[in-house]
Amino acid sequence: MLSALLRIGWKKLWTLFFVSVVSFAVIHLAPGEPSQIDPLNPRFTPEVLQRYRKAFDLDKPLPIQYIRFYRKFFTGELRSFKDNQPVLPKIIERFWNSFPLFVVGTILVWCYAFPLGIASAIRRNSLFDKVTTVVVFALISVPGFYLAYLLIIFVVQNFHVDVIGLRTFGREGVGTFWTIMDRTWHLVLPSVLGATAGIAILSRYVRSQMLEVINSDYVRTARAKGLSEDAVLYKHALRNALLPFVTMLALLIPGLIGGSVIIEYIFAWPGIGRLGYEAILSRDYPIVVSLNFIAAVLTLIGTLLSDILYMVADPRIRLEKAE
Amino acid sequence: MWIKRILLLAPTIVSLFLLQSYLWVPTFEDQVKGDPRRLTRYIETSIGDASILNPTLAADSASGAINSLVFEGLIDRDFDLSFRGRLAESWDVFEEAYLVVDDAQELPDGTPVAVDTLLRFLERARASGEPALQLVQKMELLPGRSTVEQIEVATPGPELAKPKKRPVEVTVHQPPRLKFTLREVDQDFFVKLNRLLNGYVDRIDPSRFVEAAEPTVTRQQAAALIPAVEHNPVIIFRLRKGVLFHDGHEFDSGDVRFTYDVIMAPQNLSPRAPDFEPVKSVELLGRYGVAITYKRLFQPGFERWGMGILPEHLLNRKQLKAEAVGAGRDPDSFSVRDSSFNRAPIGTGPFRFVEWKTDQFIRLNRFKNYWEGPPNIQQYLFRIIPDLLTAELTFYAGTSDAYGAQPHQVERLQDDPRFQAFSRLGLGYTYIGYNMRRPIFQDVKVRKALGMAINVQDIIDYVLYGQAERTTGPYPKQTDFYDPAVKPLPYDPEEALRLLGEAGWTRNAEGWLEKDGKPLAFTLITNLGNEIRKAVMVVAQNAWRRLGIKVETLVMEWAVFINERVDKGDFDALILGWSMGLDADLYQIFHSSQTGHFQLNFVGYKNSEADDLMIRIRKEYNHERQVAMARRLHRIIAEDQPYTFLFVGKGLTLLDRKLVRMVWDRDGTARYLPIVPDKLGRINFHFNQWVKTPHPVLTAH
Repeated sequence: MLSALLRIGWKKLWTLFFVSVVSFAVIHLAPGEPSQIDPLNPRFTPEVLQRYRKAFDLDKPLPIQYIRFYRKFFTGELRSFKDNQPVLPKIIERFWNSFPLFVVGTILVWCYAFPLGIASAIRRNSLFDKVTTVVVFALISVPGFYLAYLLIIFVVQNFHVDVIGLRTFGREGVGTFWTIMDRTWHLVLPSVLGATAGIAILSRYVRSQMLEVINSDYVRTARAKGLSEDAVLYKHALRNALLPFVTMLALLIPGLIGGSVIIEYIFAWPGIGRLGYEAILSRDYPIVVSLNFIAAVLTLIGTLLSDILYMVADPRIRLEKAE
Repeated sequence: MWIKRILLLAPTIVSLFLLQSYLWVPTFEDQVKGDPRRLTRYIETSIGDASILNPTLAADSASGAINSLVFEGLIDRDFDLSFRGRLAESWDVFEEAYLVVDDAQELPDGTPVAVDTLLRFLERARASGEPALQLVQKMELLPGRSTVEQIEVATPGPELAKPKKRPVEVTVHQPPRLKFTLREVDQDFFVKLNRLLNGYVDRIDPSRFVEAAEPTVTRQQAAALIPAVEHNPVIIFRLRKGVLFHDGHEFDSGDVRFTYDVIMAPQNLSPRAPDFEPVKSVELLGRYGVAITYKRLFQPGFERWGMGILPEHLLNRKQLKAEAVGAGRDPDSFSVRDSSFNRAPIGTGPFRFVEWKTDQFIRLNRFKNYWEGPPNIQQYLFRIIPDLLTAELTFYAGTSDAYGAQPHQVERLQDDPRFQAFSRLGLGYTYIGYNMRRPIFQDVKVRKALGMAINVQDIIDYVLYGQAERTTGPYPKQTDFYDPAVKPLPYDPEEALRLLGEAGWTRNAEGWLEKDGKPLAFTLITNLGNEIRKAVMVVAQNAWRRLGIKVETLVMEWAVFINERVDKGDFDALILGWSMGLDADLYQIFHSSQTGHFQLNFVGYKNSEADDLMIRIRKEYNHERQVAMARRLHRIIAEDQPYTFLFVGKGLTLLDRKLVRMVWDRDGTARYLPIVPDKLGRINFHFNQWVKTPHPVLTAH
């Protein structure tokens, strides 16, 4: 078991190395330079531009840049081109801003997708199933930003409250309870919007899984045993239908650093998606490559965890012994 | 069945918890009317956050907005765009000029030039009222000296294009020089002197004074080491006394020199460094005076002293070392750029920095000890809202005080009684540039015809919703340099066709224009992401095709557009825009020496008269004379049409109705005045007087 894990870990490390090379190369090979280096500014002389390139290590060959970059990354000396702030604290700060959005969004997705999916599976082809199908596909197809604008305008015009940012702007000196509620309220719209697509997609998965299981032999056996319908569905069928979703839990991990660019942008949410988006626009390489790298690490950890979880959840699957 | 119950209860509970939070949130009415502090705050929204709150290091507009409130320069632009003193109370500009004493020559009266004869000759001429010397206040003699210096000389290598460079030691015999102190700057001083001395200045051969082991030093290199003449303009700033930084420390001349040093230190990577490169020295004249000497005539250099002044006592070597040690970093490589000062700045401006939450807001409070008296607004909040629609909603809700309307909204909002609206002409113009290295664009008739074929007024009316004005040349329309007498090209496709005919382009059987069997065909390019330019491109293509010109269009990603096409001069025609400053200098954009790769005269415009004017304009310190030359330059460029000058955009700023200006009369009563834009159209010129009153009583203006 342990040796198998080590073997997997070793493989993942190699993958990580390749990811680091590719993500570094992609952003550097893409056209353009950091926005500080502005060749169209009449006040900039070539010497100044060269001075910037040197300070940003851009005058060196790519492999050297790569090595210097990751050395700085691991020693914590890496700094953003934009404001000269260390990259890791910046990312961590943004991470904690995006975190509540992620948590509430995920809770919403999982709370709603399962009941919806199960209900449509049980009442297959009923009116309820058809209506949810239509609504779900509509939600998948409507662009997020459009829905966001509709919701914002609706709420602002009818309820006259602030909906953007982390909290009501300029509100100070109120008690902790009010602050918490204020922040909770500001989470509602962005996380609901962030969750809509998730609910829609996940509920379809649940539905099809559930349908597959309901039609299997052991469910028929369970019914034949004379168990109540609820016991059949929720004890026997659901448990087995849930199996694939165990792995999805672990795959949520990389989402931690993803952040939703559009939602954060529209809601003026100072999260990690906006950080990455603005960094890409201004070619702030340290931020972009670091985010990429961290995302790769989290993805690999996620896949590792999902392998293990699957192993735990489904006794039929075992890692083959090392030769 | 408990699982079933959980499946139903969980979403219900989560939803209820989230929705009930609404009950505890203040409505907009509570925030705007229910909070008396709202009247003392001014909230502005911005789509982007500041990056560095240090005027010497920042180059983005968001940082600039904050820096201009926290910091203050020696001078700034007054209501009518002339200069006014801020940290400097007053200033003088004069010139120190140097002339080499060349003992190989003779004076006009036949005596050989020597240290004493030249000086005596000029003294006599001045005493007799010689006009060439009328600005001279003082003449003195500087002794010569010899130094050894290293220069790089080129050896012709195997490739002619890339000669090898190697260092060579040369002995420089600096001859004695005459130093003239002139009352005011005169770029023609040595021209006049040359005439008085019968061509003496022209005959000075600098290579005589440079001695090298090998005869490889060119005359230009020698001239760089020993310039025959030198203009050193000098600015004396007399500083305001008793001005305090926000921490209570008094501002003095040391801070001015320190700011200059920070900009020039290479490790600080200041984007302002080229602005101050022409400065030769910054000398302190006691605590309240500085003398700034320039290496050469460069009039735009004066305006640069609007640069915010940094506090030396917080950023000097000692302080930086202490900060580096505290942060566990190498004290030797720790620069001003690394200092935490850039996130919590201290200046002498009307507002004091309080708090900065990245990508959320920046909070400033008024500075009670501001030398001109504290602003009326107590708190300034800079809120970052990247999305325009939410920024607009925020403004309508009353939780921000200003909103920049988009062109399509202007008609709806400019007369809205809820707001005050200010329309302002921008400083940037959009143009179509023609690559004059291409044979088809070398004929001015073709360029003119292309311009005449485009209905610019239609573009303004339909693409920009009327939110633009036509422009005819390179200067901002609000400045004196713009010549209002220049008429824009008329929209006249028939005349355009006639001009093309004169240039030899005639319609063939299929209706396409051709000359010597070759069709008139080219590609018009612009960058991705600017919808207005894209629309202009379609309009232009359509207009030109109707004349019979085969026009292809291409929209390219910005970086590719700039690096592969513009900088390399690899294009036919392009649509771009320039954002202009307020000085008259156009050297980088239109001078013929700036047509190389990665230079900004990428259209390859060459006109020797314009070249001369551009050089003379940047050397001219007299405003009237500069204006006359700039207008002449404007006319020449408009005549040559290297660009089809299209339009200058207008912006509409909406302000909360409650905002007015409050000034105190001598008898101590407050008077309320409306907010008025200055000559440039800026509304925040009197920002320190702004105040919010629930029911303002405006005094007649």
